[in-house]
Amino acid sequence: MCPPNYFGVLYEINPWMHREVTVERDAAQAEWEGLRSTLVQAGAEVEVLEPAAEVPDLVFTANAGVVNASQFVPSRFRHPERQAETALDSAWFRTRGYQVSELPEDVCQEGAGDALPFGGVLLAGYRFRSDAASHAYLSTLTGAAVRSVELVDERFYHLDLTFCPLDERRAMVAPLGWDRYGRRVVEALVPEPLVLEDEEALAFCANSVVVGQRVVMPSCPVRVGRQLEAWGFEVMVCPVSEFLKAGGGCRCLTLALDVVLAATVD
Amino acid sequence: METEIVEVSGHIIDSLILAKVLDLILESGADYRMVDVEIGRANRDPSRARVEISSPDRPSLDRLLEQLQVHGANRVALRPASLEPCDQDGVLPAGFYSSTNLNTRVLTEDGWVPVENPEMDCAVVLSEHRARTVPMHRVKVGDAVVIGMEGVEVAAPSRPRGTSPFEFMASEVSSEKPKALLVAEVARRIGEARSRGGRILAVCGPAVVHTGAAPDVARLVREGWIDVLFAGNGFATHDIESNVLGTSLGVSVQQGIPTEHGHANHLRVINEVRRRGSIAAAVADGFIPAGVMYECIRRKVPFVLAGSVRDDGPLPDVITDMVEAADAMRSHLEGVSVALMLATTLHAIATGNLLPAGVETYCVDINQAVVTKLADRGSHQALGIVTDVGLFLRDLAGDLCP
Repeated sequence: MCPPNYFGVLYEINPWMHREVTVERDAAQAEWEGLRSTLVQAGAEVEVLEPAAEVPDLVFTANAGVVNASQFVPSRFRHPERQAETALDSAWFRTRGYQVSELPEDVCQEGAGDALPFGGVLLAGYRFRSDAASHAYLSTLTGAAVRSVELVDERFYHLDLTFCPLDERRAMVAPLGWDRYGRRVVEALVPEPLVLEDEEALAFCANSVVVGQRVVMPSCPVRVGRQLEAWGFEVMVCPVSEFLKAGGGCRCLTLALDVVLAATVD
Repeated sequence: METEIVEVSGHIIDSLILAKVLDLILESGADYRMVDVEIGRANRDPSRARVEISSPDRPSLDRLLEQLQVHGANRVALRPASLEPCDQDGVLPAGFYSSTNLNTRVLTEDGWVPVENPEMDCAVVLSEHRARTVPMHRVKVGDAVVIGMEGVEVAAPSRPRGTSPFEFMASEVSSEKPKALLVAEVARRIGEARSRGGRILAVCGPAVVHTGAAPDVARLVREGWIDVLFAGNGFATHDIESNVLGTSLGVSVQQGIPTEHGHANHLRVINEVRRRGSIAAAVADGFIPAGVMYECIRRKVPFVLAGSVRDDGPLPDVITDMVEAADAMRSHLEGVSVALMLATTLHAIATGNLLPAGVETYCVDINQAVVTKLADRGSHQALGIVTDVGLFLRDLAGDLCP
């Protein structure tokens, strides 16, 4: 995670961002601390990336890159506003001994925000932020089989706003964000989906952090909570309203480091 | 019609990306042809597909290409074929493109140019916006030879299709097929080829004469069903021998028994033809009264007799310089659309090497290995009919010349 010292809506690169909206600096700081302590309480260990003044969205570490055991594939951001983040992210991983594998310069890919492992493959979104062409490279670099899904609703500009793996068989899914091919791909991939209603998806339900049996969510509609609990999950709601102003929820504020992409699963 | 090739790679099958790309092409009103597809064997293996898109006009093709790019399908940047001039007669520049017998086209600065005469194992020479295959020995200093594979496109081979015995016959060579049906089908295809203006080539081995089928071939020539004949010294000699002396390699064609001192009959016949200077001269003065060669001369059906090391004589018409013989055969291939390989291994393979893959080739032999050999040497279009050539030709002549 990266503290929100310099966080703010300074530009508009998704439909949620409006520059006239002010971010309450203290509230943001408090929410971030709240998320961090909730995650620790849920059983996670949190490592921190130093914030930097010129990159307000560095706080959304999900987009730093794709982690695969001791390998790190840094993002290639679509928007120039975020491109300066890559050097900071790469440096953080490099100093911790990760092998940094870079994507070619002519493709965009925005890290775990658009690439989530599930069922032995890497489910990867494309269109708004990541290029479909990046998926073949991602596969070559990590050895993972990739399933591409086209994102069609700009409000869900990253895959992690529409897809949240829960365990080996279950995931929260928001088909609203995908084209008909993508829906079929996910349908074939997820044996037990929790299909989010449109309103639930727009409340950033899928942008949750799963730590073992605990699901840390920005908000939790009753129906979703009941289903999660019926499956044996414990829901921990952690408001991040200041960050929703920039189109990011709990998941966007984190990058899972304990990811090993199943390169040899057939 | 405007065309472009796009390439898409990755886990495009399971991600339905390929399906989506193809759907988008069709939905836009364009059409596609799969150039090639490599499908990953395991779940984690990537696949790769190249798709040729054809669209009625440039603007709609450009719009489609832009749309496909979003899904990772990128235009394959094709560069024109690189050319290098020959600096020595009969010697190709190193790295020359070696041709196949399939329909081929070459990308030049001015666009695609079809190769006019597909032939395997040749170089492709470009001149004045034309592309031709040229065998190594025929290139001249300064000929612009295509180098490498870039800018060369080879069409996938196709076989004759239709609901016919050929559907299962095409799958494999076998002696266990109903022959009468196959012969009728060959006859029908010859008829079709002819009605499209195609020429029929017959390649004959001596067994055609030994089995007593030469009169059937003569009849096919006489009735205009054979437009060009390739054979060797043996076939022509035994055809003449059987019509002059009634024997083939000394064996009576009528009685099937060896005649006294008949083993020299073919030599005596060759000698007499040599005395006259040519088969045509021997027909003209009445020495050769009938037969396949006789009908060829009478009907002005061109023939090429290619020699070999073990030839007796040979007949004066036999070309003993092999390079010259192959060139002579090449010179008669234009417009040929059906080739009948009749009981000959060496001439069948030699001819197969010269034929474009588009020529329907029927290889009739009692020996299955001949058909297999032909295919192994690149003539994949050859359909094999494993049967006695005498029976085959009698039925074929019966069908075509009722």
